[in-house]
Amino acid sequence: MSVKIQVELFASGDCARCEQVNLQLKRIIEDIGNGRVTCRQILLPDEIDYAVALGVLATPSIAVDGELVFTSWPGAQRLRRTLLERLS
Amino acid sequence: MNQIGEVSKRLGLSIYTLRYYEKIGLLPHVARNPSGARVYDDNDESRLRFIQRAQRMKFSLAEIGQLLEMRDNPQNVRRDVRALTRRKLAEIEDHLEELTTLRNELRLLINLCVNAERGCPIIEDLEQAPSGRR
Repeated sequence: MSVKIQVELFASGDCARCEQVNLQLKRIIEDIGNGRVTCRQILLPDEIDYAVALGVLATPSIAVDGELVFTSWPGAQRLRRTLLERLS
Repeated sequence: MNQIGEVSKRLGLSIYTLRYYEKIGLLPHVARNPSGARVYDDNDESRLRFIQRAQRMKFSLAEIGQLLEMRDNPQNVRRDVRALTRRKLAEIEDHLEELTTLRNELRLLINLCVNAERGCPIIEDLEQAPSGRR
């Protein structure tokens, strides 16, 4: 059975520019392909309790499988590398 | 050494409160100057700050009295006083955890506002970064 991971993007609901991060993330996930990475965007302040429990202090933040991995946009290459490492 | 008026102003406690604490034994042995006026030393002020902090945590004056016993002589205090101190410590730790969660939530909310008000610095990075396509 192939490994799958879940990515959660914490974005600001009022920050239209954060949508660019979302699009970039989706492109990276599409490139990785085979449905190995699922993604959901959490538009804060929705689910704020969950975000705070995870340690999110600013947006965009990215969690992988329920663990906060990036507390700011890490750049496309670093994010891609991290996701591939998690899949291997 | 400071007189009651100065201490009252510095700590934000009324003169009546300072006299009351002495009356009920929370602040025993306040020295007097030759005129008979109270003079407070650093230990007295430290004790008063301890009382203030404990009161902010909603500890009763009776409990504070016991905690002060612990403060005065921690190695030789009664078992029940030691037990109270442990319970109060646990309360404070729970409170700290709640405050930390609240702080983190407010910090996050402030950061959300900041993102909305000013330009998003990550955008430049996104616009410049390669797409990473194979």
